[in-house]
Amino acid sequence: MTNYPLPVKQLLDGELTLAELPPELRAAGEEALGLVASVDRTPVTLSPTLDARVMAAVRHRATSRARRVWRWFATPRDLELRLRVRPWAAWASGLAAAAGVALLLTRPPARVPAGAVAARVATPNVVFVRFVLYAPGAKRVAVAGTFNQWDQTAAPLVPAGTGGVWSTTLALPVGQHQYAFVVDGRRWVADPAAPAVDDGFGRRNSVVAVTAQGARTL
Amino acid sequence: MRALRLVLIVALGAASPRGSAAQDAAARMDGRVPADVARAVQAIAEGARARGLPVEPLIQKAIEGSAKGVPAERVVEAVRVLAGRLDEAQGALREAGIATPGADAVEGGAYALTAGLTASQVRELVRLSQPSYDPALTLHVAATLTALGVPPEQSLQVMERRIQARQGANELLDLPNEVEVGMARGATPAEATREVEETESQQGVTSTSAAPPPPNRPARANPHKP
Repeated sequence: MTNYPLPVKQLLDGELTLAELPPELRAAGEEALGLVASVDRTPVTLSPTLDARVMAAVRHRATSRARRVWRWFATPRDLELRLRVRPWAAWASGLAAAAGVALLLTRPPARVPAGAVAARVATPNVVFVRFVLYAPGAKRVAVAGTFNQWDQTAAPLVPAGTGGVWSTTLALPVGQHQYAFVVDGRRWVADPAAPAVDDGFGRRNSVVAVTAQGARTL
Repeated sequence: MRALRLVLIVALGAASPRGSAAQDAAARMDGRVPADVARAVQAIAEGARARGLPVEPLIQKAIEGSAKGVPAERVVEAVRVLAGRLDEAQGALREAGIATPGADAVEGGAYALTAGLTASQVRELVRLSQPSYDPALTLHVAATLTALGVPPEQSLQVMERRIQARQGANELLDLPNEVEVGMARGATPAEATREVEETESQQGVTSTSAAPPPPNRPARANPHKP
């Protein structure tokens, strides 16, 4: 390959014109332009087997079994459905569907669980009540209240996974109970999901009512 | 030492029936409440018992304060305040026409006062509750509504409407939960209560109690009828 000086290369790159070249380089510039022009005019000859190879690849894709099955499933097509129904049967079906919809719409909504306590009845006078507290970073959590003489060691909560949720289930007698969570043995925390009243010591106690039907926010 | 104390308590308490109750209270507090606090609470409890008040809440309050590490004088003060509320509740119940109110009703009244209702509101609610409803029930529901943050006056009005509509006990008990549902959706306690009331008035108030609805009000209004 001819090693042209930099201004000639700039000429080939279109950065300079022939007139801008120094006079002593113009001949070299003209020669270089002539060479490039001849290369540009050289015809490209394709391999005679190219057409055959391209068409073979196209046919292979077109005849793939999986592709044909998928196309059969995916391609939309027109369908005509004809039903032969007696009028009374059509009316009966419509009424049944309307009754079903009405039943769904008028059904009373499901109740949201009362805060962090959920319950199921164990015996007529004792109900299992579940206490839950979200306390990320806590090392231990307990629930203390009127049902366990405010003993913070009597009802420890256990971590449910690693997300900071602690829970326990206690069998509580029917009646109203006040309680609080004890975090790390020193911090008394009211249940954020239950009503609370002044405890008389500058803090708040949560309140749960246990009835024969379960625990309530009361 | 603890066993000796218990023996002394039993020996002294066996002297009279009144001593038996004192013995029970002392035994309940033994080991849980400092001795000086226990003595002061026992004196308050004896006075309360003499006036016909329940003493269990007082003992519980002493145990609670000690468990929470509250200084002795504050525990005794809290017990004294609670005894005063029980007194006030008993007075309100008597003024509302209940000559000898039960422990449940008195405790319900004290709970309502603690939650924020006034003595006159307690009296009014008890008066409205009779004779169809247990005042302990209506007081607890109103107190819980107020504890949730519903203004006391609004709690009283809601209860009044429900009582006049002769709703069953279960419907009354469900009321705080219904308000909580609204609060969970972002409404304030007052707004949530108003929404519950509006829904009730749109759907018509249902009654599951044995008592029939008042004659001038249909059992269930037709929501589609203007």
